[in-house]
Amino acid sequence: MIRAFLSALGPEQAGPVKASLALTTAVSALQGVVFALLVPVLTELLREGPRAALGWVAALALVTLFYALLRTLSLFVNFRVGGAISRGLHRRIGEHLVRLPLGWFTGNRVGELNRVVTDGVSRTTNVPVHIYPPLADAVVTPVVAVAALFLHDWRIALAAAACLPVVWMVFTLSNDAVGRNDAARDLVSDEAASRVLEYARSQPVLRAFGRTEQGGRSLEKALDAEHGAARRLLLRIVPVMLAYSFAVRLMFALLMVCAVLLVLDGGLDPALAVALLVLAARFTHPLATAADQGAALRMATNQLDRINAVLDARPLPEPESPVLPRGAAVEFDGVTFAYARGDDAPALDGATLRAEPGTLTALVGPSGSGKTTVARLLARFHDADRGQVRLGGADVRDIGSEELSRHVALVFQDVYLFDATVAENLRLAAPDATGEQLDRVAALSGLDAVLDDLPEGWDTRVGEGGTALSGGQKQRVSIARALLKDAPVVVLDEASSALDTENEALVTRTALELARERTVLVIAHRPATVAAADQVVFLDAGRVVESGAPGELLARGGRYADFVRTRERARGWRLTASDATTPPTPTTTEGHENDPART
Amino acid sequence: MSRERTATTDGAGPKPPEQPPSPLKTLLRPIRGRIRTAVVLQGAASALGLVPLICLVELARTLLAEEAVDTARVWLLVGVAVGASVAALAAGTASTLVGHLADNDLQLSVRRALAHRMSRVPLGWFTGRGSGRVKKGVHDDIEDVHSLVAHTLPDLASVLTVPLVALVYLFAVDWRLALVSVLLVAAGILLFSRAMAGSMAKMAQYAEAMNRINSSAVEFVDGIQVVKHFGGHRRAHERFTRAADDFADFFVNWSRSTTPVTVGSFLLLSAPTVTVVTVVAGVGLSLAGWTEPASVVAFALLAPALCAPMNVIGSRVQQTQAAGAAAGRVTALLDTPTLHQGEEPPPPESRVVFDGVSFSYTDHTGDRTAAERGRALAEVDLVLEPGTVTALVGPSGAGKSTLAALLARFHDADAGSITVGGADVREIADLYRTVGFVLQDVRLLRETVADNIALGRPGATREEIAAAARAAQIADRIEALPRGYDSVVGEDADLSGGEAQRVSIARALLADTPVLVLDEATAAVDPVSEAAVQDALSELARGRTVLVVAHRLTTVTGADRIAVMDSGRVVESGTHDELLSRGGRYAELWRAQGHRRDESGADQ
Repeated sequence: MIRAFLSALGPEQAGPVKASLALTTAVSALQGVVFALLVPVLTELLREGPRAALGWVAALALVTLFYALLRTLSLFVNFRVGGAISRGLHRRIGEHLVRLPLGWFTGNRVGELNRVVTDGVSRTTNVPVHIYPPLADAVVTPVVAVAALFLHDWRIALAAAACLPVVWMVFTLSNDAVGRNDAARDLVSDEAASRVLEYARSQPVLRAFGRTEQGGRSLEKALDAEHGAARRLLLRIVPVMLAYSFAVRLMFALLMVCAVLLVLDGGLDPALAVALLVLAARFTHPLATAADQGAALRMATNQLDRINAVLDARPLPEPESPVLPRGAAVEFDGVTFAYARGDDAPALDGATLRAEPGTLTALVGPSGSGKTTVARLLARFHDADRGQVRLGGADVRDIGSEELSRHVALVFQDVYLFDATVAENLRLAAPDATGEQLDRVAALSGLDAVLDDLPEGWDTRVGEGGTALSGGQKQRVSIARALLKDAPVVVLDEASSALDTENEALVTRTALELARERTVLVIAHRPATVAAADQVVFLDAGRVVESGAPGELLARGGRYADFVRTRERARGWRLTASDATTPPTPTTTEGHENDPART
Repeated sequence: MSRERTATTDGAGPKPPEQPPSPLKTLLRPIRGRIRTAVVLQGAASALGLVPLICLVELARTLLAEEAVDTARVWLLVGVAVGASVAALAAGTASTLVGHLADNDLQLSVRRALAHRMSRVPLGWFTGRGSGRVKKGVHDDIEDVHSLVAHTLPDLASVLTVPLVALVYLFAVDWRLALVSVLLVAAGILLFSRAMAGSMAKMAQYAEAMNRINSSAVEFVDGIQVVKHFGGHRRAHERFTRAADDFADFFVNWSRSTTPVTVGSFLLLSAPTVTVVTVVAGVGLSLAGWTEPASVVAFALLAPALCAPMNVIGSRVQQTQAAGAAAGRVTALLDTPTLHQGEEPPPPESRVVFDGVSFSYTDHTGDRTAAERGRALAEVDLVLEPGTVTALVGPSGAGKSTLAALLARFHDADAGSITVGGADVREIADLYRTVGFVLQDVRLLRETVADNIALGRPGATREEIAAAARAAQIADRIEALPRGYDSVVGEDADLSGGEAQRVSIARALLADTPVLVLDEATAAVDPVSEAAVQDALSELARGRTVLVVAHRLTTVTGADRIAVMDSGRVVESGTHDELLSRGGRYAELWRAQGHRRDESGADQ
């Protein structure tokens, strides 16, 4: 636990954290000494009277004072260390994240990261402040007190010492079980919540098909199942939770019986027996809370493991002596890449292609053929498993990520905007861009029309993630941002999802405009873009199947030609009820047979 | 009784107690009896937990007595101590069980009620922050209420019982010593409440700093692709680092400004201090002859019990407040106004009339985003003749999807009316039997493929389902799944966007409604599957009254009627050729898509 803790915090935090934990441990030990000193005080008081106890009382008062001072010091130190941990962890995670390959940030990872950065860090911050001190009180204090028993009566001390390992064992067992139970309960509860959430999100379709009742019924079944599961978990865990409490109480009862037997036997002074039992009562109380503290520590440890998993992720190696790309030619040379190691169907399988400056290359192919992977490897989201990706003659791995990002501009399929103004979002690409430069890229990207519609133009805030803008509007901001970056290589993902017809035409126009002097790669969906390209690279199953000028490929009658024909068929699709070859089915509604509107 | 979640007591944060707000009471009403039982049981457990200590005091008196030791009494005391200890454990366990089971039932009934309500609110409610709020309601808020019911309320019972019982006993033993310990605890509480008062305002700031760090972290992580790619690491990263530093500074400053008082109260109210002070005072008092030594034992054992609860009360009060706020949100969700439910039978024919329809997205929860400002639809008149295809075209944000959504009553119009066969859609009981919908955002449920297709007709036979799948050109793909039609979506049926779309078309085919709305069904699909999707759609459209929201003009050139929308209005309508020759907005759009004036549907 401590090792995980220190590894998460990094070397510069190690000293203060160790000091804080050591101090807290010392304070808890001292608390044990305070309790232990009650024994001589009470023994003298009960046996000889108050005057005989005075010396021990003075010692007790002195040690308690020392304890109070040390406790105060430790509280201050713990707070300070907690603050330092919060700062240090956030910084470490932040600095590490920007060095990780973008390929690392998959959908699940992002959700997990959010939890790590918020909940994970705050729980870890709490370890020295709120979690470790009560735990030390619950464990260290009783151990010191039991040791003190040996000074007075070895038989009772031995009984207590014999109990501790048993209590410890029960503690570990119940702790594990409670931890597992917590995880299982969270799963059940998450599942129930996600069922309701799915139901909420599916409302349009559920309603469109009148399934609110039936949909509700299957939801109800799911909720019932989860309710039952939670119930069973609870009934199973209660005896386990009981076990630890029972063990601690049993220990106290055992000591009580021991002491009474010894006194009745005449083998133990009654005054000492009472004093020892007071000590036993004082240390079993914190001991009883150990289970709670253990559970809290366990949760914090789980969070720490998550943090460490993030910090252990390997960043992309940076070159020791970076090479500058010469020119903007893009080359893929026998590139093979799989998203998961040992994947039978790699995303790219020996792909070779070349894109020259001043040309437009259209990447075409069915979904999953590797088009997007080409873009990702070029921007070094991942490194190729085999083969080489070159930019201006230099292997992208030798260029260095900062330099590379200056050379390649991507227009993402999923556009993310920061909660700032439109202008600020653009300036992310070029912090010092002038107003004219902004206006120029706005005109080029069609953003100018969007700005006219926005209440405060350039100064409109876009909301978290850009939620205040429509999909098409965000896309234009993203295009403008990439243009402003003014990189010699531009990759456009012509995803049709966020685009309306006007945006689509605009992307084609922009791509052509850019291709005058840059190397432009387009993940193409529009026939118009493909037709206008200088080069078509047709991908299938990670291989470059055909490449060449679009007209040439069409004439060749290969895969690309097939593809275009299918596409033509899609374009030829007509929604009309009046097609003579497709008579109306008898199941549909009346009235259309003699409808004058149909031609 | 050990608990799963711990009261991490800092003494530095919590606020003073407040009456729980009424939504909480409303929410808890169904399980009120069981909560009371759990609280009473926990109170009993706490009181019983003190009995062994009291027995120990009495045992001390008996053992230290001048005369011969009364053995029978000794064993009786030991027996009572052990018995009470076991009884305390039993009562505590019972309390945990009752509380958790009650909470478990509460979660079920709240989730059920939420689901029931959600099926009746206007769909507009879900847009914007709606589903985030639902998530908070069904997950985080229920978790907060769980802590309250299962942990906090029973704990509060012990917080009250323990000092009360201890105090009564100690006063009975020796009122002077009891007074000393009461004074000590009172001083501690005084300091404690001063610490709390000072931290009230700080608490809000703390939450604020925490929020800032949360949102900047979310932004940092969500936008990491952009951050890295635009080489703007330092800047976007800076926002995050600044929030992190602010938070750490705040944490340290806050603890520095409050700790002298906090530490004071912590020390005064901690077991070693209370024990030592009362023991020292006891020795003093017995020196003066005012108390007997055996009474000192009572205080050494029981005085710490007076202040023990103070260590947890702060976090408990915080949890109660959090639960109160959570309950408020949950009840607000449960009270969301619902759509009016109509009672008229399905209309006999399928002529659809939009008459002066206006609508704006100032949604019913008061949320409004900049994009949704203003009217989405302004006095739209449109007639869909039975058996014809009407296409809505126009720039994004023109109101096409909104108009389509109103026909399926995802929202209700603010003004004007929409009728099908003369009946207002708001008055038709089972509108879904009349109006079918293929949505832009295809959503398959985590159920079997067969159930997904049969969504609109739960009683459909396997043959009917398979026939619909064949017509929608998806049957082959489904049959290739590991369990065919019984494969579960998202588990062993991983369908691509285009495949999901064809399943949703099969769904609409099977539902077989006379009126059909198709919304941008071809978005985000690669050309190969698009061809299949469109074949399926052509099949679906046959013979129905169809309203199609189109974004590629070429797909609808053959429609019976094309309505061109702009800024929430229908600005033109007619056939493709009519509109083109008119040279208006449509002709403009046609040209913008790279077509020539005379290229009237290249593939006809």
